[in-house]
Amino acid sequence: MSDHGHDHDHERTVAPMVDEITDFEVLEIALRELCIEKGIFTAEEHRLFTEFAEQIGPTPAARLVAKAWLDPEFKKLALAEPMTASKEVGVDWMEPTGFGTPSDFTAFQILEDTPTVHNVIVCALCSCYPRPILGNSPEWYRTPNYRRRLVRWPRQVLAEFGLYLPDEISIHVQDSNQKHRFMVMPMRPEGTDGWSEDQLTEIITRDCLIGVALPKPGVTTNVITDTRPAVHPGTAG
Amino acid sequence: MSERIEALDEIVERNQVWPVMAAKYGVENPVPPWKTSLDGLCDALDRAGCAEDVPNFKERRDEEDALSATVYAGLPYPENQLLSLAHSLLSRGIIDEAELKQRLRRIRERLEA
Repeated sequence: MSDHGHDHDHERTVAPMVDEITDFEVLEIALRELCIEKGIFTAEEHRLFTEFAEQIGPTPAARLVAKAWLDPEFKKLALAEPMTASKEVGVDWMEPTGFGTPSDFTAFQILEDTPTVHNVIVCALCSCYPRPILGNSPEWYRTPNYRRRLVRWPRQVLAEFGLYLPDEISIHVQDSNQKHRFMVMPMRPEGTDGWSEDQLTEIITRDCLIGVALPKPGVTTNVITDTRPAVHPGTAG
Repeated sequence: MSERIEALDEIVERNQVWPVMAAKYGVENPVPPWKTSLDGLCDALDRAGCAEDVPNFKERRDEEDALSATVYAGLPYPENQLLSLAHSLLSRGIIDEAELKQRLRRIRERLEA
């Protein structure tokens, strides 16, 4: 039983919720209201960007890869014209929010894994991420630790996610930026013959599309990794 | 940029961070409900980056990284993102601390009414 002042049974009524106004909630509203009052952005702009943040997720990207695994012609399209292929899974890169892109985005590319090349994406500069098709980035993707170390020691960092690649597979780290976004098209794993698009979509997790995991029958969740703080990221080399 | 800001330190000290709140009320959402609104706020700010003193995308993220690793190192994500953003806006003079304190009071009164 919770200790928040009333005695009805939440399990039999609605899902539990935080019945307390937090300072963080109040601060978010305060910053937003003050920015709007100062004319930095409008309430309408904020609402549209928030709706965008609420509706995005990794499913369109997973479906795109599943379609490509099943249809060689679609795979060619995805690699040659990724923005056209994205539209077939419901993502319009030029109008993801309904009123333009959140940044000065200009290009999207899909990186195809092969038996000898494994791709993984990062944004060494900040945390650019293919949000329209892959949703919001996970916390660890934003950390200076991942961003700085993946570029230098990709095998070590991938091993921290539980992905151990043999030496004969070369690792290509693709650095995103505000204009260019990337996602990974992993190889279809063994044991998936005869699977439907829906079945394949389920095993193509967000982590597989970033490149820190490989799709595997039976695995439909992302790796849980501790977020490691970097030491003095503003000053360290 | 790394100077302490009293209005924000008070929020840190009260420590109503989401992991604590979620455990207290038995909620399983991994992030607080204000997270998408904060995302919208950041996107809207990035788009308005040409306005005077408003940090552009890169400045905002650089300041967030530096502040999250120092002044707000004790906070989880996304509380550290929110406090870092508030810190940037106050340090740059876009929002005044007294004005923020007053607004925090008024909003809390409104929400608790």
